Amino acid sequence: MERQEIIDGIVEVLKTVRTIDPEKLHNITEETDFLTDLNTPSTELINIAAKVEQKFDVEFEDDDIDNLGSKVKDIVDLIIRAKERAE
Amino acid sequence: MDSLVNIAPEDWLLMHGPKKRLVSKYHWHSPKVGIVASYTPTEHDVEDHFNIFRGVDQIESFAQASVVSMGGFLECEKMGITQQQMSEILVPAFISIGNVNFRSYLEKGQTFVNIGFIKSYKFRQMACDGRIYKVPQGLDLDEYFKDFTEERLLAYDLSSDFVLIAELFDITGRGLKKEKFNTLS
Repeated sequence: MERQEIIDGIVEVLKTVRTIDPEKLHNITEETDFLTDLNTPSTELINIAAKVEQKFDVEFEDDDIDNLGSKVKDIVDLIIRAKERAE
Repeated sequence: MDSLVNIAPEDWLLMHGPKKRLVSKYHWHSPKVGIVASYTPTEHDVEDHFNIFRGVDQIESFAQASVVSMGGFLECEKMGITQQQMSEILVPAFISIGNVNFRSYLEKGQTFVNIGFIKSYKFRQMACDGRIYKVPQGLDLDEYFKDFTEERLLAYDLSSDFVLIAELFDITGRGLKKEKFNTLS
């Protein structure tokens, strides 16, 4: 799965999160920061991670989320790692 | 350990000093569903506040009883460790409030119960909804909640002499890795 394909999937997930302004989803890049660029409440990151698990059919560990950074590239990396782990 | 009933809050994860610990006793607990825990405001709690227990302390009490106590309990179960071992790894933290409606107030010496149920629990983060009720004077809470059920908890099925004090929504807590927590200061 290409990284851009994963980002497109993440954007689809973010469209369902009511605390994120849809206008801010037009220019999402790997460097976009959930906290500072999208103003996502930190508690919402857990809900996003849970939705991403479903969307990409992967399973994250508690420690994965503890160590997760706040940029889009961090969650892209985590999805790739989780997929590799499951293989 | 099946539940927090008969465990003293100070022996559990409420590591606050006594002036900031706002849970006295766990009366009923179903680990994956919810909890009933009481507290009675002291002289210290109402000092400089018109003899009234502050709203923010009601929320704090509810958070200690619900997300902190129950979240910690489930983390210990999941990791297969004791609360002592967990306290060396995680700090149970109260991190967010959704909404609170205050319906009445509490004075010094008026015992209340926090009735909380789990809305979500994922990646060490727990969100609870619930209510606070003033308890009828002289009621034996252990006896009253001895045969309480999950259905009654979710319906707030209490006798009519309990007085609704507050409704709380999306009270959220999270087990934070100790090394991360220590970088917050």
